[in-house]
Amino acid sequence: MPPRLDTLAKGHELPPSAFELTPEWVSEYVAAVEDEAIGPLGADLVPPMAVAALAVRALLERAALPAGAVHIGQEIEFRRAVRAGEKLTASARILSRGERQGWLLMGIELRVDGEGGPVMEGRATLTMPVTEGSP
Amino acid sequence: MTPGVGTELAPVVVAVTQEKIDRYAAAGGDGNPLHTDPEFAARTQFGGTIAHGMLLLAYLSRMLTAAFGGAWLSGGRLKVRFRAPARPGDTVSAVGQVVRAEGGRTVCAVECRNQAGETLVSGEAEVPA
Repeated sequence: MPPRLDTLAKGHELPPSAFELTPEWVSEYVAAVEDEAIGPLGADLVPPMAVAALAVRALLERAALPAGAVHIGQEIEFRRAVRAGEKLTASARILSRGERQGWLLMGIELRVDGEGGPVMEGRATLTMPVTEGSP
Repeated sequence: MTPGVGTELAPVVVAVTQEKIDRYAAAGGDGNPLHTDPEFAARTQFGGTIAHGMLLLAYLSRMLTAAFGGAWLSGGRLKVRFRAPARPGDTVSAVGQVVRAEGGRTVCAVECRNQAGETLVSGEAEVPA
């Protein structure tokens, strides 16, 4: 059972998650988001937001979202194009956390690396009610 | 050719359904019941299921891919705030306009709006010129 996100302290690093962008998964993602723009650029190119989605998936595998958590902001930079079949590693770190009027605000750094360096970097901002168990 | 300042990007318009939200939850591995469980979601402050914010960003990304091609995939930046949720039954429009060029990058104001014109997501995207 992963720790609850709202119990993690600033600076906490979540263990990295490795994954492969299989052609089957890429097709499933492209169908789910109805991305008709990526195909004409190259048959094996992956929509950049697919990499971001995997970074979020990796985060959710390593930290459980408390009930009522809401995604309120996102920053992303795509460092290079990614192709189906690539093996990537996603990591996350708690950049900031603060409390205001019963709500916890957390900034989470997301990073995805491939061969030769980063392919995506970003920051997600989430808010959630302060509950028992929050430090 | 890079679109010039003032150019409106070709919008992406999508009818959001619960089936599409469920499909994204499966692909994205985000099965938060706020998105997929109507009974659970009815008890939240949203009063019903809502689309994943990352699904709305995928619509923006599709618009930016169509407008800028490989430059968006390699060097694109996006900074947004989620302002209101998209719900099943909504028609979401991802729109954008080139607002300036600076430091070798083209900057666009981007938004997702629903059929009532309510802003769901707003922010800026940057693409290498």
